Amino acid sequence: MSVVAFLLLATMITAYVLLDGYDLGVAAIVPLVARTDSQRAAAMSSIGPFWNGNEVWLIAAGGALFALFPAAYAVSFSGFYLPFTIVLWLFMFRGIAMEVRNHFSGQVWHDFWDFAFSASSTLLILLLGITLGNLLRGLPLSPQGYFLGTFAYLLNPYALLVGLLAIGVLAQHGAAFLVLRVEGPPALRARALLRVLWWVVLALYAIVTVATGLERGFFTRAPALTAVLPLLSLATFFWLRTAGRAGREQTAFAASCALLTTLLAAAAATLFPYLLPSFPARHGGLSIYDASPSATALATALTATIAGLIIVVAYTLMAARRMAGKPSERTSSRPSPEPRRP
Amino acid sequence: MLADRLQFAFTIMFHYLFPIGTMGLAPFVALYTLRARRGVDAGAAAAASFWTKIFAVNFAAGVVTGIPMEFQFGTNWAQFSRQTGSVVGQPLVMEGVYAFFLESVFLGVLLYGKQHVTPRLHTASATLVWLGSWLSGFFIVAADAWMQHPVGYALAPGGRVELRSIAAVLLNPFAWWQYLHVLCGAMAAGGFIVAGVGAYYLLARREGPFGRRFTAAGALTAFVFSMLLIFPTGDRNSADVTVDQPVKLAAMEGLFQSVNGAPLAIIGMPDTRAQRLIDPIFVPSILSYLAYGNTRAEVKGLTAYARELWPPVELTYYAYHVMVGLGTIFLAVAALATLLLWRRRLFTARWLLWLLLLLMPFPYVANEAGWIVTEVGRQPWIVYGLMRTAQGSSPNVAAGETIFTLIGFLGMYFLLGVLFLYLILREIAAGPSETAETGPA
Repeated sequence: MSVVAFLLLATMITAYVLLDGYDLGVAAIVPLVARTDSQRAAAMSSIGPFWNGNEVWLIAAGGALFALFPAAYAVSFSGFYLPFTIVLWLFMFRGIAMEVRNHFSGQVWHDFWDFAFSASSTLLILLLGITLGNLLRGLPLSPQGYFLGTFAYLLNPYALLVGLLAIGVLAQHGAAFLVLRVEGPPALRARALLRVLWWVVLALYAIVTVATGLERGFFTRAPALTAVLPLLSLATFFWLRTAGRAGREQTAFAASCALLTTLLAAAAATLFPYLLPSFPARHGGLSIYDASPSATALATALTATIAGLIIVVAYTLMAARRMAGKPSERTSSRPSPEPRRP
Repeated sequence: MLADRLQFAFTIMFHYLFPIGTMGLAPFVALYTLRARRGVDAGAAAAASFWTKIFAVNFAAGVVTGIPMEFQFGTNWAQFSRQTGSVVGQPLVMEGVYAFFLESVFLGVLLYGKQHVTPRLHTASATLVWLGSWLSGFFIVAADAWMQHPVGYALAPGGRVELRSIAAVLLNPFAWWQYLHVLCGAMAAGGFIVAGVGAYYLLARREGPFGRRFTAAGALTAFVFSMLLIFPTGDRNSADVTVDQPVKLAAMEGLFQSVNGAPLAIIGMPDTRAQRLIDPIFVPSILSYLAYGNTRAEVKGLTAYARELWPPVELTYYAYHVMVGLGTIFLAVAALATLLLWRRRLFTARWLLWLLLLLMPFPYVANEAGWIVTEVGRQPWIVYGLMRTAQGSSPNVAAGETIFTLIGFLGMYFLLGVLFLYLILREIAAGPSETAETGPA
């Protein structure tokens, strides 16, 4: 049952990364693809209706971690105290930047808040990537299972590498999304960026894969899985390339989603059965069996969460299908989430 | 410890300002949307989109201030989360998957989907947003009620709490009256917000039809829910406290010595050193009657309990008296407004419109005060009778770190608060007819 809980949690985190990933990614690349004020407004309004809803997945995943693995929730959140608090501030600041931008006019004002929006989103991706990197690498845990390192400790080279990969892969994801949602020069530039980023991400991916092997050992657990997943990742890389070249935009976005899924699956396979592996030892740490509550509690949380998510996915898909498309394809276009008033 | 407490108190109180708005305004959004769909009521569509926008700003602010709440259980209260996550985690994850998604997805449809979806789905979305916001409140209150009155659990070796029955946790008798009281508090606030906005339009001599409409609907709502706040929800909630948390009751009432036929202190200032109320005004025997339905019953005072089990007496006492005092004023004003509405004189009674306008911030004060009574009055326990707050914090987070992040939250929330007020005031200044002209949201 702990294994099912682990899979459920991994699925929810993947859903969060796929969804909030594109709006974070769009935010990161806005300065690169949109040069004029109106282009930036168009790029930002492509994510305007969605970012708040996408963040609900983070809340749900956090709640699931709390209910399914209370000990891991307690240890990781208190261990990552400063980075997580900064993540919270960045989430808020990002939302504020987006809202404030749309409600006042003025070039200087827009320039500042657009920069703030992109910078805070990029930093957010970096910090979340660094968190994942540290999880993969392992943490020094006290006998009571609490993390005893410092903030500086979390900024180790391996974690920073994973953070960079996160920025690259989500920027790519954002570009693939933006191509679907905007038109004109920003769409062209996003397409060009997608081609360049592909090489960057591929290179970073190769480096991180080798570095992970050096940190955690190659083929330590479930060798079949750790061998198959990188091959799958490579396959999706090429799928993304061919779809992007052929101009099949929706396929390219799907390929980007698939790529993120394989990367996160590889991360989950590397961690399993640990939630918080210990460092520097290559084995041990807080495993899913240590961190889960009683069978009753786990069964309750699993049933409630899975049943709830099936309903959520059903109505989200229903709503998304009825509201999809580029602005021009829709019956009415809305320049920004809230119409600006003089 | 103190820093953790301050941080939690500050972030939860700031956060709760927004759920008051969403729970209290959701029914207005849904009912105006429903009326607009029927097509017989010309103003309903504009009223619906006006309140939808105000609701949306509240919701967004609620989301961004809500994420830190969920994080804080882990970051600042790691031992609490570890020991009780088996139970407390359940309602929190349920809130996410059953309420929060519902609210956010269908708010998206309501705001951006009018041109894309069928009118029926659009109307249904408003109702689902309403359902989502009220469900959300229920799960959160269920989690809190478990901390007030733990049920449905077993103690594992090492003091860890393990869930035994989720049904018992969700059907916790303590949760139901508390939830209804919280809901009535939000609804009374919603009523006063709608009435206050309407009163503003009438006083400013603009938006005439909307001014009358909002003042009337808001005043009626405020009247009904102010009554329900006192009886039965407030009364029953207090009865639960009397039975389950007698120390809290004593602190709320400022009762130091146990007496038969205890009086009710209307005003008075508690002096914890001399263990008495300074300058009190008492109503004889009423406390015994309210607590036990018998004017002669004995009510236990604070001195009947060990000093270390006392909650902070002054804070609990004042918060309770502020809440009850304001609640009484709300009922009086709302009743007067309803009476004048019935006599068809409300819209011209400018003094009462002024009163309704100026009253707008106070339901927020009363709601927050109520939560102070609940949470501060529960001290020194984080889970009543089971775990001390002092045992709940993170062992690996220093006070200095928490003070740093508290300062950061102060700054960030100041920015957020200014933006929120600006957005709300701008919507109100623009008015519903403006909304109708620029197209429905």
